Amino acid sequence: MPNPVITIKGLSVSYGRKRVLTNIFMDIEPGHVYGILGPNGAGKSTLFKAILGLMEPNAGAILVKGKPIEEHRKEVVYVPQKSDVDWTFPATVFDIVLMGRYPHKKLLQRMNEHDKALARKALREVGMEQFENRQAGELSGGQQQRVFLARALCQEAEAFLLDEPFVGVDITTEEKIIHILKKLAAEGKTILVIHHDLSSVPEYFSRIALINQRLITFGDTAEVFTKENIANAYSGQLPILHQTGGWE
Amino acid sequence: MLKLLPGHYHGGQTSGNYLVSHGATVFLHSNKEKRLRIPPANSGMRRGSRPKKTKMGLLEILQQEWAVRALIASSMVGLMCGVLGCFIVLRNMSLIGDALSHAILPGVVFAFMIVGYSALGFFVGSVVAGLATAFVITWIQHNVGTKNDAAVGIVFTAMFSIGVMGISWISRNEGVHLDLKDFLFGNVLGVSNQDLALTSMVAVYVFISIIVFYRQLFVTTFQPVIAQTMGISIKMIHYFLMLLLSFAVVASLQTVGVILVVAMLITPASTALLLSNRLEWVLVISALVGLASAILGLLGAIIFETTPGPAMAVMATILYLLAVFFAPEKGVLFKAIQRRRIRRRVQQEDTLKQAYRLQEEGLLSQERLEQQLGLGRGILQANLQSLRKKGWLAKQKLELTPEGIQAARRLVRAHRLWETYLADRIGLNTEQIHDEAEQYEHHLTDEILDEVERVLGFPTLDPHGSPIPVKPGLPGHPLSRIAAGQASRIARQQASEQVTARLWELGLLPGTPFSVRQKEEGFIEIDVSGQALKLPDSLARQVNVEG
Repeated sequence: MPNPVITIKGLSVSYGRKRVLTNIFMDIEPGHVYGILGPNGAGKSTLFKAILGLMEPNAGAILVKGKPIEEHRKEVVYVPQKSDVDWTFPATVFDIVLMGRYPHKKLLQRMNEHDKALARKALREVGMEQFENRQAGELSGGQQQRVFLARALCQEAEAFLLDEPFVGVDITTEEKIIHILKKLAAEGKTILVIHHDLSSVPEYFSRIALINQRLITFGDTAEVFTKENIANAYSGQLPILHQTGGWE
Repeated sequence: MLKLLPGHYHGGQTSGNYLVSHGATVFLHSNKEKRLRIPPANSGMRRGSRPKKTKMGLLEILQQEWAVRALIASSMVGLMCGVLGCFIVLRNMSLIGDALSHAILPGVVFAFMIVGYSALGFFVGSVVAGLATAFVITWIQHNVGTKNDAAVGIVFTAMFSIGVMGISWISRNEGVHLDLKDFLFGNVLGVSNQDLALTSMVAVYVFISIIVFYRQLFVTTFQPVIAQTMGISIKMIHYFLMLLLSFAVVASLQTVGVILVVAMLITPASTALLLSNRLEWVLVISALVGLASAILGLLGAIIFETTPGPAMAVMATILYLLAVFFAPEKGVLFKAIQRRRIRRRVQQEDTLKQAYRLQEEGLLSQERLEQQLGLGRGILQANLQSLRKKGWLAKQKLELTPEGIQAARRLVRAHRLWETYLADRIGLNTEQIHDEAEQYEHHLTDEILDEVERVLGFPTLDPHGSPIPVKPGLPGHPLSRIAAGQASRIARQQASEQVTARLWELGLLPGTPFSVRQKEEGFIEIDVSGQALKLPDSLARQVNVEG
């Protein structure tokens, strides 16, 4: 069994007095696309924030390659929801993708041809090379999501954390993104995706974590993506199950 | 640095001439008596200001030492505020800029109480007051349930009031009258060498900081959460920016004063944001606009004998308004022209379509067109003229050229495809769809049309039962339009050599009879004398069959 890239040991997080995550244990191994599933308010985004070191846990520890995240920031890249950006910002697609190279640079070091070549390669991979000089606000939602993915690719990280990458994107983009994620996993990278459309779970993810403040289940999709586990995670939010019903 | 002057612009002055009145400027000095006194006659500024100043030309004035100092100080402030202002505007912190500038008053006053008149004292006092304000505002925003802009308003008005009270305390207890006017509006003509040195150092520090921390500023401004995942402290950058802002405000006091420094911060930045879409360029343009505002404002003030600070702010506003109207892409004028261009194109295309319809019926005449389109004769003539220019209408007579016919068929295709889409996919009824399609036919690109056609499964008739023209360049009777179960023959005429060659490879020679067995996703299966043959849609659409 390969060494886990991210180890979560007994993680508990709360916002003020409200407990959001309780006693989570996970060994996240390379070579898989993990689906992080759970109802609204289950603590999926909080889990990401904790892994990224943006939130102080109340208890437990998170290790990236056996060390605290602070020592491996470059290795973990975050692809946030595209809605958290002011898209009128004066930046071109290329400027945004090149941000992926920032963690590799010291204070006064300039971007060189190698960095630019990597940015162009990332843009080609997501099929956005012809939009290089476009202002980001002129793009469609799906294209903006692809730009964020390109920025992550350009960072050459080991682990990728994507928050709802398929929300508000077109089918072509969704197919393209999942194709790239699977390819990255095949290359030995580690991919975590927060996802809410249960019908596409078996097709997209080789492993899943079902979360509802506690870890309901964690393992190979084929084994743990069962009706009982889902009902357990989504207790009280059953209408969602009836709508999707893709697990049977 | 800051000279606290009695109101020498007051209306009571007989000459009303700024420079003349400046000759009589009274400076506040921290001399023993702490009283106001008239500056010595050899003060640099006085020499240039003769009562008969109006005779002095602009060039002569610019040779004066004080004018040169004023020009250099203003230029620095213009450049520095221009660059810094971009980040202030992009971070939605314009109001904080305003707040900081007002809030440094108590810093100046307390510094005066403690160390008396000292440029360095004022500088330190101002920066401390500025940072304290930034800190308190941020603390309230994070820890108290008060709205962000309300928090800003509360803190800076409180700070400013404390400063004003301090001034009255000083005047009561120490007998020194401090005039707020210069604090509010600046007094660039009274810039001393010491002020100039301080302003230059601050400006250089601000420029170097922005260049060194450009990437950090860029990420934290664009997407703070990503900055955090990169290990950049948003808080540090925030306070660093507040520090730079305090510096810039203090350095600008002498030139434009606290109220107008906001104009120098946000107006050039807003102008630049209308002119470019790349942060690097926005910074450069903003700096240049700031510089131009400062220099032109100062020159304007000298020529028109008015106060320089407000003149710079007005100049910045004029440049902003020019950008609002004339900026490429984002300017009001550009947008209006674009809208007009689209309107004219729509009108021309409507004329083209109507002409095509009438020509098909053999009824094309000027009168009929006028009648059908409801356009005035002049406008119709202009439209026909532009159609001729495009080569869609014959030069001498009223008849569409083959290119014109093709362009018209493209419009009809767009119209009918869109109608079909609205009826089939959106579920609108047949009465509703015409007007919608009438609008959209002008804006649908070929790419979208191809996609719509594919999604609809290459329909042949629109919801009204009229035929949908095929895409120009494709055969008149494509194989893809033969319904399952129907039979036809391969036509003699094919659209291109490649198609003929492909057909030859498949053994489909001209005249070969076939029938369509079934259509599936992406393929058409045909029966050629008992043998099944699968053709991809892309090929089937290019194959011409007998009609």
